[in-house]
Amino acid sequence: MSSRPGGSTETREREKTSLARPWNVVVHDDPVTLMAYVTKVFMQVFGYAKAKAERLMLEVHHQGRSIVWTGGREQAEIYAQQLQAHHLLTTLERVES
Amino acid sequence: MWAARTDTGWAFGDIAPEALTTLEAVPLLLTTRDPRVVERLHPETYAEDADEREWRRHAGEELRHLFASREELVRGDLARMRELPAGRGKFLLIPDAHVSGWLAALNAARLALYALNDLEPEWMAGKERERMSAQQRMALARIHLLAELQTVLLGERTREPHSSSADEDEDADESSNADE
Repeated sequence: MSSRPGGSTETREREKTSLARPWNVVVHDDPVTLMAYVTKVFMQVFGYAKAKAERLMLEVHHQGRSIVWTGGREQAEIYAQQLQAHHLLTTLERVES
Repeated sequence: MWAARTDTGWAFGDIAPEALTTLEAVPLLLTTRDPRVVERLHPETYAEDADEREWRRHAGEELRHLFASREELVRGDLARMRELPAGRGKFLLIPDAHVSGWLAALNAARLALYALNDLEPEWMAGKERERMSAQQRMALARIHLLAELQTVLLGERTREPHSSSADEDEDADESSNADE
């Protein structure tokens, strides 16, 4: 999703570097979305068991955000897109080394 | 309004005119170009501008298509609503294959109502509602009504036939406490 043919050497290098480093998929709290819905989406998108999905949902609710998955950029983007498809407030953050 | 499981999906009956108006607004809310709604339904994903531009070009475009097809799905089910006999309101069937789309569409519509009416987080939790305007109160009631449908579709609750509208208001407030 993120890689594309062409582009400058600098861009390609930047992409290569960022592809190699893990990324966090972060879900942020919002005052509207139902808790049960968030849990269901986590189970559906990541295949998490209900207990884990609920734990992450509660982390979002109480702490304002939760890192729901960490890994390669391409997969992180796929997950972020799926979460945004369900309207969960989702961002991608590079893991600090 | 009552809701029940059928062999092929979820059925909603005795839909009162006010609830019908709220439901019929869902497809319109999904496609509004109001910047407050667009900002929420297409949020910034990356901190860096170059990454964000690339994201919007690919993922953003796909999401726009998805939301448009979801709007069609909801619009189609609403168009197939039937009138119940003896003036008992409308009957809506949401087939199982459409449940996921409806859940997301209802969530989007609730988010859109929240953004369009400049609602505040504490109002969602039932606090400080004395500061709300009449229009904001109406928007909040609609948000809760749509949450009721979501709750049923999530399999968390069924609604018995002949629930009074007072019951519905009570249930709506209950669901708001569960809002995230």
